[in-house]
Amino acid sequence: MCLVSPRFVYATLIGLVLAGIVHIAAVLAIPALSEKDAVSRARTSESLDHPQPIYTVATGDDPSPPEAWLPIPDPAVAVGVCAYDLADGPMRVSARTGPLSLSLAAHARRGAFYAVTDQAAVRGALDLVILTRAQYDEALADDDENDPSRDVRIVAPDDRGFVVVRVIAGLPSQRPAANAAVQAVSCTTDTAADDPPGKEPGGKPAGR
Amino acid sequence: MRLAIPGSSGRSSAAGETQPAPGTGSLGGAGRLVVRVWRKSSVAGLAVYALALGGVLGLASADWATSGGYPFGGVQVGAWTAWPRAGAANSDPYTRAVNARRGEIPLAVGEGLLLTAAVDDQGQALDATCSYRIGGGTPPARAWTLTVAGRGPRDAGQPPLREGFTSTEVLRAADGRFTVVLAPEVQPGNWLPIPRASGPVRLALRLYDTPVAASVGSLDRDSVPAITRLGCAS
Repeated sequence: MCLVSPRFVYATLIGLVLAGIVHIAAVLAIPALSEKDAVSRARTSESLDHPQPIYTVATGDDPSPPEAWLPIPDPAVAVGVCAYDLADGPMRVSARTGPLSLSLAAHARRGAFYAVTDQAAVRGALDLVILTRAQYDEALADDDENDPSRDVRIVAPDDRGFVVVRVIAGLPSQRPAANAAVQAVSCTTDTAADDPPGKEPGGKPAGR
Repeated sequence: MRLAIPGSSGRSSAAGETQPAPGTGSLGGAGRLVVRVWRKSSVAGLAVYALALGGVLGLASADWATSGGYPFGGVQVGAWTAWPRAGAANSDPYTRAVNARRGEIPLAVGEGLLLTAAVDDQGQALDATCSYRIGGGTPPARAWTLTVAGRGPRDAGQPPLREGFTSTEVLRAADGRFTVVLAPEVQPGNWLPIPRASGPVRLALRLYDTPVAASVGSLDRDSVPAITRLGCAS
């Protein structure tokens, strides 16, 4: 016995199929359209030479700043971000290892594409260079065979993204040092697009 | 939403129950009117109905699926759920959407592993009025932190006494294992105060620089801390 017209059932079925399509499209579009995501929020740190602290661990009387936008941050880990835009040139991140464990992770819109901890450091220095495929080829072609660069070169999937610096303070007394260690990392843009003399600084092991 | 009643079977089941025989005349008249209106705007009406249904249901379900925690990708280990792929470049679209909406920067695979727990070993939800013992060992890691949080943003009022333990500062037994007591009242040993007076709480265990991030399948119940309910204030 037919209580509702077949056309109505048909329209409902079409509606459900449309709902599925809209659902998938919306979920796929959220990362690209979101203005609250980490890549968009980190954009403000693009012009800085040092990580922008986004979560500083509480030290003594100083509580953690309320502007931290990590939803559930780890209270013992200081976090800083360096945003990059590879259209301006390759991004160089240099960190000196210290007594506290430090990790660097490079994120793009699709997620983290590279992560390294200070255990991978060579002689106490960790140098990452994040570049596009074209910049990578250029850097490879410019390499001096007698003096190979010690940089870790990472090809980024997108032009825009950010590098996260995390420093773990195992004890409350190490917290000021953890906040300082995040600030001590340097994030600079290599201006490799100049003529050969301009490239020399880029080939040197960085850090000042 | 309109319910189309064809003229031939102009008696819906609900109407048939409430109004047996005498009502059929007026119901049939109303049904015929609906059918006539329906027929007149049938194609356009059905199209609008289908589009509205698709749009509303699609957007609402997308919002629902991405508003809370990660819908998929968790690996259950005892009471804990590990999220190995939350920060990976090949994470699923739902995870990416959740991260984008929350502004979260998840731990990458090479950095560490996040495990969360919202229930104890018996499967009962963690509640702020109860006390729990969290003890045992952890998977191999260079450092770990065990933190407690309520759902939603934290209260801005007073800074919490203690939000968590790190692997360095936790007090251990002679065999290297540890016991943390999560309770509203002061406890001897490793006391983790419950951050709120009532409501659900959740625990997060973050393993930093750990080899298990790449092989979560190797974790079993005994390698993660056990969560045992000690009692509840009624």
